[in-house]
Amino acid sequence: MSGTACQCQEIECAEVEIDYTLLDKIIRDDYGGNREAMIMMMQAIQRVYRFLPEAAVKYLSQVIEVPLTKIYEVATFYASFSLEPKGKYILSVCTGTACHLRGSGGMVEHISKRMGIAPGKTTADMKLTLETVNCVGACAVAPVVVVDEKYYPKADIATLNDFMDRLDAE
Amino acid sequence: MKVLNIVLNGKAVTAKMGQTILELAREHNVFIPTLCDSPALEAAAMCRLCTVQVIEGKWPKFVTACNFPLRRDAEVVTDSPEVRHGRKLIIELLMARCPTSPELQRLAVDYGCDLERFAPLNDDCVVCGLCTRACEAVTGRTLSLAGRGVAIHVDTAFQKASEYCIGCGACVQICPVNKIAMEDVDGERRIILHGKIASRVKLPQCTSCGKHFGPVIDLQQVMERMGEHKIPPPNASVCPECSRRNLAIKLGKRYFEQYGVFEDEEGQANAG
Ligand code: SF4
Ligand code: FES
Ligand code: FES
Repeated sequence: MSGTACQCQEIECAEVEIDYTLLDKIIRDDYGGNREAMIMMMQAIQRVYRFLPEAAVKYLSQVIEVPLTKIYEVATFYASFSLEPKGKYILSVCTGTACHLRGSGGMVEHISKRMGIAPGKTTADMKLTLETVNCVGACAVAPVVVVDEKYYPKADIATLNDFMDRLDAE
Repeated sequence: MKVLNIVLNGKAVTAKMGQTILELAREHNVFIPTLCDSPALEAAAMCRLCTVQVIEGKWPKFVTACNFPLRRDAEVVTDSPEVRHGRKLIIELLMARCPTSPELQRLAVDYGCDLERFAPLNDDCVVCGLCTRACEAVTGRTLSLAGRGVAIHVDTAFQKASEYCIGCGACVQICPVNKIAMEDVDGERRIILHGKIASRVKLPQCTSCGKHFGPVIDLQQVMERMGEHKIPPPNASVCPECSRRNLAIKLGKRYFEQYGVFEDEEGQANAG
């Protein structure tokens, strides 16, 4: 998503170059073009682009012959799918009950303030997406912060500042 | 087939295995209010208005009549203080979403609803999902229920005007709160949802009178989706009005020309 991204400055702009041979590999080779594996295909596509580009979703709909509206329903239903481009890093703060009691709300606020983004949003430089999740299943080490699938147990403001300092330095 | 013994509001009746409570109630002229049910579509139990009480075995429970299949002997109560109490809440919630629906207003009066209880959302859509189900049934592929929970709403894919709409207007017809509009302007048919254009379908021009009529549907595709591969799609170039008039003229000529009815050059039938 970096070098080939389009020049336009609109935040809404979600144009990325789609590699259709790669899509074909995912849809046809990896999952045999079987529409029952649709969600797994969507996950695989999202792993490639870090979100679900419209063109890729349309292509998927054509190949597996599932109406676009159905795929859109699924994509908007599950919080783990995103139709908007995500930042280079995805920082998820757990706001489940245990983590909430151990102050994850304040952590979300802290990041929001420092990075200038609301939860669910991405910084203008596309570096960081801030997300909240409801219980990642590690309540014993609450509060938990997850950065790109790496878990940080017993996180605190210092952990976050560390991370954001590194981000700023990049 | 096994016959079930059901006590419907205190009256002993029989039901077929798998019959829904709503079907049974209608058979016996028992009224249950519904909003998201259509005999043409599979029940989706979205509006919850049809909630009734059923006792199968020991415990009474509340279920939606439109999609609850009877499988055992049971007792069904469609109207009791408890049922009305539950329904009242549902109507209050629906009214908060959509206070302009006459249907709902009537129910609100009937159930003595407290309309101050919930802050109005004024969304005007009760998210019954009928339009999306109708759209899917006619192979339209235009409307979908996006999001979930409190954020669920009717939308087109990627919030863009759909390319797959066939302009049939089924969604407009079926919406219980008349939230969807359809208009034919500038040679195209538009479906308007939430005040936004949800789809545009080109209208063909009559080769005879020049008026726009019916939408241009990719019938080939529609028929394929319906599994009718071999039937060639009809392709009208004349609007229904002209085609009727032309046929009348043709018939008139065949049978009445000899009487001199068609004397004028234009070939216009002048006999009423
Ligand atoms: S637009 Fe109308 S038919 Fe569609 S979900 Fe809303 S209320 Fe139901
Ligand atoms: S609440 Fe955060 S891991 Fe369970
Ligand atoms: S009619 Fe049964 S839930 Fe709407």
